[in-house]
Amino acid sequence: MIDFTDWPQHLLAAKYWHWLLSGWSITILSSLLVVAASTVLGLLFAAARTTPVASVRWAAGLYLSAFRDTPLLVQLFFWYFAMPGLLPQDWTAWLNSPHSLSVGPLTLAWPSFEFVAALVGLVLYSTAYVGEEIRAGLGSVPHSQIQAAESLGMTPRQVLRYVVLPQALARIVSPLFGQYMNIVKNTSLSMTIGLVELSYRARQVEAETFQPFQVYGITTLLYIVLIIGLEMLNQHLQDRRQWGHTRMGRA
Amino acid sequence: MNFLALADDWQYLLLGTFPDGPPGGALLTLILSSISGLLSAVLGLGLGIALAMARNGLPAQLLRGVLGFLRAIPVLMLIFWIYFLLPVLFGMDVPGLLAVVCALSLISGAYLAHSVAAGIRAIAQGQWDAGTALGMTRWQVLRTLILPQALPMMLPSFINQWVTLIKDSSLAYIVGVGELSFLATQVNARLMINPAEVFLFVGAIYWVLCSLLNLLATFVARRTRAGT
Repeated sequence: MIDFTDWPQHLLAAKYWHWLLSGWSITILSSLLVVAASTVLGLLFAAARTTPVASVRWAAGLYLSAFRDTPLLVQLFFWYFAMPGLLPQDWTAWLNSPHSLSVGPLTLAWPSFEFVAALVGLVLYSTAYVGEEIRAGLGSVPHSQIQAAESLGMTPRQVLRYVVLPQALARIVSPLFGQYMNIVKNTSLSMTIGLVELSYRARQVEAETFQPFQVYGITTLLYIVLIIGLEMLNQHLQDRRQWGHTRMGRA
Repeated sequence: MNFLALADDWQYLLLGTFPDGPPGGALLTLILSSISGLLSAVLGLGLGIALAMARNGLPAQLLRGVLGFLRAIPVLMLIFWIYFLLPVLFGMDVPGLLAVVCALSLISGAYLAHSVAAGIRAIAQGQWDAGTALGMTRWQVLRTLILPQALPMMLPSFINQWVTLIKDSSLAYIVGVGELSFLATQVNARLMINPAEVFLFVGAIYWVLCSLLNLLATFVARRTRAGT
């Protein structure tokens, strides 16, 4: 008789479940870090793209073109293979040796060089995309509204807080979450530089078990769970947003 | 930076061993992207029209489900599926190139289908009503009234998708297809001391290809706007 409680073992041996789930946790961790960093940097990038200072605007445009019109894979290779040579030598040695950071009882191990290179590559790439969505959202508020608010005597701060942001945020959330989903999917490329995340583990488990159907099935589902989670969070934020209701045009 | 280190290899990166051997490098990237681009356009148009014309029912929901699935998984996963599963299912060996073309066409087609459906829906209802009032069928209205207006509007999103496709063609590296990124890692492994030069050069080639397409998109967008 089949014991229905241990169906996972029938599908794939426990050891390999463990591998896949540990890969999944690296995928989640790196996605979260990239989402956070690229959102902060994306804000700065959006500011740089719209600043009155022409040289900064030009530099931001150059950044956009360089990072958006080349493949992420090549960028990852660049950071992984070329970064050690471009940094001062003792930095490279430091990056490659194990370290740990102790804060009270907590000890954070310094991540592997693969992790650092993947993160640098993903953050710099994603910043261009996230930043453009933020810029588009902020730019979608008609200039006449800002002029109207200014003519009412509002300070730039008030204009931003009461006129621009309530409308812009409502329009930014959806495209921004679209980019976050892309970030989750893009982390799969870091397997090519040896980061042991979900796709890397999938290849590894497949090579050992010769059960491609189970392995890729489970891996695909794990990715879909993350994407659906993000989509649900997006819906949730849209439904109960506190920052005002605007009629959305064609989204 | 010493780009002279690439003196012996730049031609290999651009063409592979062509014309003595099969095309490789940037040339293969171009071939790969063009075939996938064409297939994705056909697929995107077909599925997009189906998506816009379908009445709510099981087939429409199934189609939406499949398109959603294709947009939710990483391109890399789809390449794995096709590359490792087709041999198991059908007992035939799938060349890496074919697996990549299939994966890229399917994913790009899924994204394009949504743009096409959105483009069709953006045409005012009055046009449909006018066509139907003249006694045309739904498909006749689509072909003679809706598509001629909607297609030029969609062209920029097609071109954007093709730019993404050129970039994603680099993923063929993972199944050992000798396109630009794969040859780049080969050359990098052989030279050993010039990774920055190799990947900057290769990145520049991709950049030129994508920028040219982007320029085309701007040009087309300007002409469409001028034409209406």
